[in-house]
Amino acid sequence: MKPAPTISSAFLEPGGQSLPAPLLELRKQRGTALVDMPLPTRKTENWKYSSRHLKLTDELASTLPATGKDGYSLSIPGYRVVFHNGVMIPEASDFPDLDGIRIQRFADLDDDEAAGLAERLDNTLDTRAVQMARLNSARFEDGLYIQLDKEAVLDQPLFIVHEVTGTASGSAYPRIYVDAARHSQITVVEEYLSSGEEPVMVDTVTEFVLADGAQVTNVRLVMEGENVQHIGATGVRQAANSRFESHCVGFGGPLRRHDLQVRLEGEGGECKLNGVVVTQGKQHYDNHTSIEHVAAHCDSEETYRNIAADESHAVFNGRIHIHEDAQKSNANMNNKNLLLSTGAEIDTKPELEIYADDVKCAHGATIGQLDRISLFYLVSRGIGRREANTLLTMAFINELVEQIPVQAVKDAAQLRLNEFFDQTFQEA
Amino acid sequence: MLSIKNLHASVEGEEILKGINLEIKAGEVHAIMGPNGSGKSTLSQVLAGNETFEVTQGEISLNGENLLDLETEERAREGIFLAFQYPVEIPGVSNLQFLRTAVNAMRTHRGETEMNAAEFMKLAKEVSKQVDLDPAFLKRGVNEGFSGGEKKRNEILQALLLQPKLAILDETDSGLDIDALQVVSKGVNALRAEDRAILMVTHYQRLLNHIVPDHVHVLAGGRIVKSGGRELALELEERGYGWLGVKDEEATPSAAS
Repeated sequence: MKPAPTISSAFLEPGGQSLPAPLLELRKQRGTALVDMPLPTRKTENWKYSSRHLKLTDELASTLPATGKDGYSLSIPGYRVVFHNGVMIPEASDFPDLDGIRIQRFADLDDDEAAGLAERLDNTLDTRAVQMARLNSARFEDGLYIQLDKEAVLDQPLFIVHEVTGTASGSAYPRIYVDAARHSQITVVEEYLSSGEEPVMVDTVTEFVLADGAQVTNVRLVMEGENVQHIGATGVRQAANSRFESHCVGFGGPLRRHDLQVRLEGEGGECKLNGVVVTQGKQHYDNHTSIEHVAAHCDSEETYRNIAADESHAVFNGRIHIHEDAQKSNANMNNKNLLLSTGAEIDTKPELEIYADDVKCAHGATIGQLDRISLFYLVSRGIGRREANTLLTMAFINELVEQIPVQAVKDAAQLRLNEFFDQTFQEA
Repeated sequence: MLSIKNLHASVEGEEILKGINLEIKAGEVHAIMGPNGSGKSTLSQVLAGNETFEVTQGEISLNGENLLDLETEERAREGIFLAFQYPVEIPGVSNLQFLRTAVNAMRTHRGETEMNAAEFMKLAKEVSKQVDLDPAFLKRGVNEGFSGGEKKRNEILQALLLQPKLAILDETDSGLDIDALQVVSKGVNALRAEDRAILMVTHYQRLLNHIVPDHVHVLAGGRIVKSGGRELALELEERGYGWLGVKDEEATPSAAS
């Protein structure tokens, strides 16, 4: 039997010279551990549909240079941090210096802070299940460390713009760590963009740690180009009575992968995970979510919608694990899928593991097409095909788009959706 | 206005309409009656352009224009309106958005400027009153959770907003209680105009007490087997379809009036 392919040594070149010593040390350790790391294959259950889209060529191994000269001319209201090719660009960033809230790039941390962070990095993720997050830990050049003291409230959303430029091939490894102390509140928007044509990989990791009563909202908008493989992981740990909300909106590419792992570790915790995925052409998008009900009396609610056009492929895998002591858990998962062409494919798998006996756990998954009778009804009123199809497709995701708590993201998503509708639907 | 000549149509290879001939002039109200399975609904759907039905022979023209060359949406823009027997529920699309999109599609077709949200809201509220539909229904999903009567009133609301040349009402009276029937009839009568024709498809005669037709046709086995004036409907109520040599699997029409 042929041995499983391992990661090319080209990916394990040293780097990270601008990091403070403890983080650089961590990075080296993680790199050493990666030698001979088997890459996901078709036989790797959680990469079954996506391994063939993961193309880790040696050209991708080089770190993209962070010139800071591209993009980010976005009109973003409020606070923003701009990362270019995985490195924060202070000149393009604009965020507050508020009491109780510290937003620092890794390179600016002093050794004590960096040592504290190094101990905790990766703590939110099951890295056996998110193999590619391990590569990020071995390769990050920079990152953002956000600390909220108890009861600190960030009064506006913080936009973190991740832009990569594919003028040459290479990869970027952005890294965010958010530490939200008791009863603090923050909304973090992550926006992923790209320019250029050469093949690029973005391997990104974002972690949130919520102390008692903390409230964190994470909005994630993935809109990179056709040259970008995007692999992301988000890890969340929640203490008692904390609330985490996630709103992911993603448009497809050669490979889009997002692993979202939430652990409800204290009683009274709540999480709400919403996701909208749109794919076209030959694009591929894979969402793997995992919710661990570790403590009793926690609620989770998950709603994901996939729309696949042309010959594209979307994957949803939703895992809910209710631990033995997690009595009175309330978990609700719903995944609906819309196929817009006969060549499109969607695979969905709810995965429930329940070890407690007094829980409410519901799940539902459907795959369907646009309803012909609804379409006939709309066009019989003089509405054109393109508009009628658009209305029906928007109806499929409206509820989730409406819930996005940041207007600028809603607008950006709607613009991109309109492009998708124009490309996908024709008049008769 | 509408001219149907030797129309044959089938669904999944089975011929439903077997040579329909019908002429309707502007200003006229025609009623098509007939037992279940006679092809009444098929005729309505074919006129509106439902692709489930294949027209195998014959002609349909509206003011001299060949309808069969036109897509459903083009027919609507030329003035064909079908009030559905079973109006479709579309959750996630607000009734208001749906109605405004439809009205603006018509306006654009006629070279008029689109109505903005505020202008349209005002118009929609006025017309809602005409069919006794609470304007709160404008904010809900299209027909979502509407009762049978509310759905039918929403159909008439659309007809009043779109001002068609030919309004086809497919079993608009079915499932209505007597109060709702009166409201709907009032709406339909408000549609009557010199430059507009109305084609009512109905199983029962009771609607014709409220909306008095100029002509009545009996459709059976995919053909029009008898035509007459209003008195034909009354005769059908009294005698059923049997005397025309037509079988009706259901009760005679009078039993339900």
